[in-house]
Amino acid sequence: MSEDDRLRLAFCGLHPDRTARLVADMGSASTVLAAIAAGRVKVPPEARRAAALAAGACRDRLARLKVAPLFRHGAGYPAHLGDLPGAPDVLLARGSLPARPGVAIVGTRRCTRYGLALARAYGRACGGAGWPVVSGLARGADAQAHRGVVDAGGVGVAVMGCGPDVVYPPEHRALLGDLLARGGAVVTEYPPGTRPEPWRFPPRNRIIAGLAAAVVVVEAAETGGALITAGAALEQGRHVFAVPGDVERETSRGCNLLIRDGATPVLDPEDLVASLSLLLGPPPKVPPPPSTVEVEESARALLAALPAAGAPIEDAAAATGMSAREALAVLSRLEVAGLVRREGGLVLPGR
Amino acid sequence: MFAAVTSVALVGIDPCPVRVEVHVGGGQGIFHLVGLPDTAVREAKERVRAAVLCSGYRFPARRLTVNLAPAEIPKAGSAYDLPIALGVLAASGAVPPGVTGVVALGELALDGGVRSARGGLGAGLVAAEAGRPCLLPPGSAAEASLVRGAEVRMVRTLAEAVSVALGEVEPVPPPAVAPASDGPAVDLSWVRGQAVARRALEVAAAGGHHLLLVGPPGAGKTMLARCLPGILPPLSADESLEVARAWAAAGRPRPHQGGPPFRSPHHTATPAAIVGGGSGVPVPGELTLAHRGVLFLDELGEFPPYLLDALRQPVEEGWVHVARKGVSVRFPCDVQMVAATNPCPCGYAGDRLVACTCSPAGMERYRRRLSGPFLDRFDMQVAVPRLEPGELAGPGGEASAAVRGRVAAARACAAGRPALNRSLSRGDLDSLPCEPAATALLRSATERLALTGRGWDRARRVARTVADLEGADSVKESHVAEALSLRAAG
Repeated sequence: MSEDDRLRLAFCGLHPDRTARLVADMGSASTVLAAIAAGRVKVPPEARRAAALAAGACRDRLARLKVAPLFRHGAGYPAHLGDLPGAPDVLLARGSLPARPGVAIVGTRRCTRYGLALARAYGRACGGAGWPVVSGLARGADAQAHRGVVDAGGVGVAVMGCGPDVVYPPEHRALLGDLLARGGAVVTEYPPGTRPEPWRFPPRNRIIAGLAAAVVVVEAAETGGALITAGAALEQGRHVFAVPGDVERETSRGCNLLIRDGATPVLDPEDLVASLSLLLGPPPKVPPPPSTVEVEESARALLAALPAAGAPIEDAAAATGMSAREALAVLSRLEVAGLVRREGGLVLPGR
Repeated sequence: MFAAVTSVALVGIDPCPVRVEVHVGGGQGIFHLVGLPDTAVREAKERVRAAVLCSGYRFPARRLTVNLAPAEIPKAGSAYDLPIALGVLAASGAVPPGVTGVVALGELALDGGVRSARGGLGAGLVAAEAGRPCLLPPGSAAEASLVRGAEVRMVRTLAEAVSVALGEVEPVPPPAVAPASDGPAVDLSWVRGQAVARRALEVAAAGGHHLLLVGPPGAGKTMLARCLPGILPPLSADESLEVARAWAAAGRPRPHQGGPPFRSPHHTATPAAIVGGGSGVPVPGELTLAHRGVLFLDELGEFPPYLLDALRQPVEEGWVHVARKGVSVRFPCDVQMVAATNPCPCGYAGDRLVACTCSPAGMERYRRRLSGPFLDRFDMQVAVPRLEPGELAGPGGEASAAVRGRVAAARACAAGRPALNRSLSRGDLDSLPCEPAATALLRSATERLALTGRGWDRARRVARTVADLEGADSVKESHVAEALSLRAAG
């Protein structure tokens, strides 16, 4: 089975399950391509056109997009993913995909502020510990996890449900650039130009779990992508962590169910890093980016009074005993120094 | 044969004397009314005839011509009944010609009674200017008595008007104006907690800055906004009269002693109700009723974009131009805007107790709807969080009077500048002293917080006001730091 034919078959962009079944039935990618060309296998017209592409044309296109094809059991393809049943035969990667397993941090797109803040904090903790952080670049928790990695200057891997040249959701283009700039990678099994259709996402989730040694579910409803990822992780024998949430909140129900069914509850970033150290080995001790900004005593007190999920200025002022005027002035200095940010009516630590 | 009585028409909010000329002579009983009257004025013929007859006078059975001069000003309403009747009586010789030496205004009932009509305050101004007494029905007389130097005579019937005009009876003094209600009186001492929002309100009052309040439902945004007029400096006599004139043009009396007005139009109001207009002679809208006071836009996100667009230019210029068939008038609208909005569609983003149920996409849509050129008008934005349960039972804050004192001191410190701090231009700001540390902080904020050119000026305006509140001559670093925290997003 030649690499050329495997790449050509991957360019058809069929559902991963279907590709796997066809290859299993017919023996090799070459015979499947021949069957598609002869019309013995019914596929959408764009897949038929893609099947007629020469391997050279496919490789040229990837080279133009600075995307590398990685073949299962071949060089650059992470072994911990390749050894799993149902792993994609060809992965398309931009940037440098880490060879060692990482930590997947996932959650719902309809995240509450609680979940958003946690996802970022966990992303920062794991990225800061030197482990690759894998997630799906989706809106909500996924993107926050990636942002956390970027904050910590760590390595992030984004697994996408569309072509390697498509950014979905489009507002995360800058985030994607940040990930790549810090030595991260963007991975997909879909050929260039593939639109983000809903059915493409569940198969993507098995890659997220496969690239990681452990999956952390930050906030998830009873149904949805995050629980599909957790399910895939359990099938693949990965460790599943879940962050407990309000038992009455719909978007925490998935996490709480996972805990009931045996997932390890995570209480704070330090707790997570300690548990993960047992699985992944101790963190390679990357020193945290030094805070070069000098701030006054009162500013440090205000910063210390801010919870990770943020608080209204009033609360921070009350906790430090400052007047509203002082707190407002101190807040600006902290914001200009890049130590806090404002979101809605809240002040949050971090950029 | 001929008689002329002075009355009044409003052009925008400015009263303009109108000469009601009556000629009686020759021919058959025909009644002509000329000089750009509207339908209600044209109906005056029937009311005047009946009122004259019912008051016991003879109505001339000859050719009768009434002219309202100057002819190019459109006249509206029923206010010319009384001057026309007085003119008819004088011109036909039924009463001595002395009755015409007055300024008169009022609608006639068929039985000869006089009812209030719009324009009482204007009549008072015209009468004071002309040095003549003015005859007005009770409601209008109360309004006119606000004008210093106006000789106001209250009349209840046509016959009484004749005797008062001739000086045959002592006039009854006009009643006092009922206080205009801007809503329930509120005091800042009722506001619990909200230390940051209170400070923002004080700064906004001192510099006249437009202020945006962002917070969940029930946080007290409306209450805070209602407190603003109470901490603004009281209106001067001239300003007060200007406000009264604006209100009178809209047919609402307003007492002299009233503080800055507070208007809170609903988001379903029509553009004409907000900026002014209406068919025929334009009437001022909410924007002009808020002149020299506060225009509060509650639930800013619910206001349709075309309404906000219609507000933008008038608020910037302080004048609103309204053009209607053949007339174009200008109403003053020097207002301070306060707007309140929820942080997200459900209102609970960032709340301490209730979880927000909005999707990030929904929040993004909401933010986009609220952004844009209208929001650019707001110098200041402040978050108003919901109180913790304990805070509601806690002590109230400082009373309005104390804050008003500091605001007045800050305004005194700002006296001598070309405009209120809200309207300072970039050139004005450049010429005001600013310490190097303050400029340095602004410069790093431009880089780190992506401040735009407009944001830079806004921060400097607010910083100037913070400095005024401290009585400082030059803007210091701490003033800029505070102003940056009170800046509007975007």
